[in-house]
Formats: sequence, C-alpha cells, structure tokens
Amino acid sequence: MVDLNQIDLQALARGDKRSWDAFVGAAAPLINAMVRRALAPHGLGDEDVMDAAQDVFVRLCAQDFRLLKTYDPARAGLSTWLAVIARSAAIDHARRRRRPTQPIDEVPETALGVEDRHVEKLKIPQGLLTERQTLILRYLYDEEREVADIARLLKVDPQTIRSTQHKALLRLRAYFREGTG
Amino acid sequence: MSPQRNDLSASDKELWQSLATGAAEPPPVDDMDFAAWIEGRVSAAEAAQIEASVAADPEMRRAALDIADVLGKPLPAVPEGMAVRARALIGFEAERSAARKGFWRWFLDWMAPSALRPAAVTMAAIAIAAGGFTMGGGLGASFAQQQSDGNGIQKAGSKSEVSTDISEFFASDGI
Repeated sequence: MVDLNQIDLQALARGDKRSWDAFVGAAAPLINAMVRRALAPHGLGDEDVMDAAQDVFVRLCAQDFRLLKTYDPARAGLSTWLAVIARSAAIDHARRRRRPTQPIDEVPETALGVEDRHVEKLKIPQGLLTERQTLILRYLYDEEREVADIARLLKVDPQTIRSTQHKALLRLRAYFREGTG
Repeated sequence: MSPQRNDLSASDKELWQSLATGAAEPPPVDDMDFAAWIEGRVSAAEAAQIEASVAADPEMRRAALDIADVLGKPLPAVPEGMAVRARALIGFEAERSAARKGFWRWFLDWMAPSALRPAAVTMAAIAIAAGGFTMGGGLGASFAQQQSDGNGIQKAGSKSEVSTDISEFFASDGI
C-alpha cells in the first residue's frame, strides 16, 4: 500500500484517477479510524461510519478538489490535516443523524423540573492566566482528562503540565486573596 | 465569610469551577491552522491565539485530543467496501472526457495529438473499401449489373407502352 506521504498531490488535484485510487488506499485507514472515534459517543454504528467516511472523500474531491487544494504541506502533515477534516465531517454527519426532538407536551412534568442553582461566577481578569494555562485547567477540570493525554497533545513532558497547572492555581489564589483581603 | 474566601479554601477543582474566564469570544480557527497547531508547527503568537480558541470551545478541545490520540496509535482495519466506494467517486480520464464532450469531440481530440492517427484511419478506410469492392465481385460484376439494369429499363419502357395503349383504349370509349 502507498504511504500518504508518497501521494503526488498535484496529480491528485488535477483529478488523476491513479493518484486518487492510491490516495484512497493510503487515507482510508486514517479516515476510518477518525470517523469511528468521532461517532462513537453518538452511538452510531458501522453503516454510519461508512457513510461519514464517504462524506469525507466527497468533500475532498467536490468542486474540482477545492478542499484538497487548500492543503498546504508547508504548514502541517497530510495525515493531521486529513484527521481534522475527517473529524469535522463525522461530527456534521452525527448532527444530521441526531434523533428528532421529543415534543415538550410528551415529556413528564417531573422531568422538566429544574432547581435554580444559578450562582454568579467570579470573572478571571484577562491576562491573569496565559492561554496555555487556561487550556490546561480546562482539560484537567472541565474535561477531567489525564495529564498524560494533555502532555501528548501539547508535546511536552507530563511534569510540565503539572507545573503549569500549579503556577496557574497559585496566580488565581493570589489574585483572589488580594482582591478580597 | 465572603464567597471568595470559601472559594479560596476549596479544592483546586472547586476553585476553578467557581470562576469564569472573562475573555471575549476568540475568532474561529482554520482547519489548516488547527492541524499545524496539533503538530506544534506554529509560532508562539499563533499558538497563543489558537489555544485561546481551543480553550473556549469544548468541541475543539475534544477534537484536539481525539486527533492526537488517533494519530498516535496503530490504525484499525478498513471495512470492506469503504475504499471501493471512495474510488468510484473519480472515473478514468477517458470516461470523464467522453461523458463531458460527446463522441465527435472525443474523436477529434483523439486524432489531434499524433500525425500517425489520420494516416491509420485513412489506411483503414482504404482497406474496408477494397474489401467491399472485392466482395462485390469487382468491375466485371459491376458491368454485368449495369447491363442487367439496362434491360430492366427497357422492359419497364415496354410496360409503359402497354399502359399507354390501355389509356388510348379507354379514351376511345370516352371514359
């Protein structure tokens, strides 16, 4: 099987059949894996994986390969860019397949009861935390992700993630202690 | 005790969840830039801009982790039929040209690139004509046919004489 990096992108963008066939063979495993991952939380099965993967290929070659022509090898690897495109197409597919909403009259009243626990949150002033600190705290506390996963994404050592988290919390505590003391 | 003091004594997670980031909504991130950021191929300034957008959007946060995870693992086998369906999206150039241009345009295009093609077509036409001529019996048969046609005309002429006589017969009776 041809490697994605060996694909002649110029021939592919011209619509060359052999290049397209080679591209499909090389890209299908990645597109399949990405689509499968994106659809898993939505409870969609193999048939949807097939359809969403086909959507990705359609997007790539539609309008005389318009999307494919936007790919810039100097900016990122083809695999990463394809994974971004594939995930985006899969999420769009899942949104289209979302079940129709239930009419509100059919929902039991007890299920609609919501306790009002709205609490005004304190605002973190702009510039107190760096964008990276904010991102790491969101991953750790909002998403409850593992330090190792965040470290892999940001291509840093797990210790760097812990250190960034620690510094961010120190800043927050210091700011709000001063502000209220 | 003020609510702020309660927050400060709370655990790190509770502290974070009691706060809200006050930043304005960051601009959307282009797919190409997002891919470059995932690969760590952006400048510090670009990275800060993209990280602000990712931090503000739960869907982008999940996307970034999913993509990094999939790219870092061995890929599963592709279901049968996925590649076949995708390959069928693009036809061969000849099929697409024929579908777009019609037969005569295709024929002219086919003829154009090489000087040998018109010669080959001419030779084929001569061979077909010669074959047909031979099968038809050549000049001798053609002459015989002409003769036979000539007799036919003569016979037809005598028929017309008969028909003239009949007309005269009816005319003499006043019909």
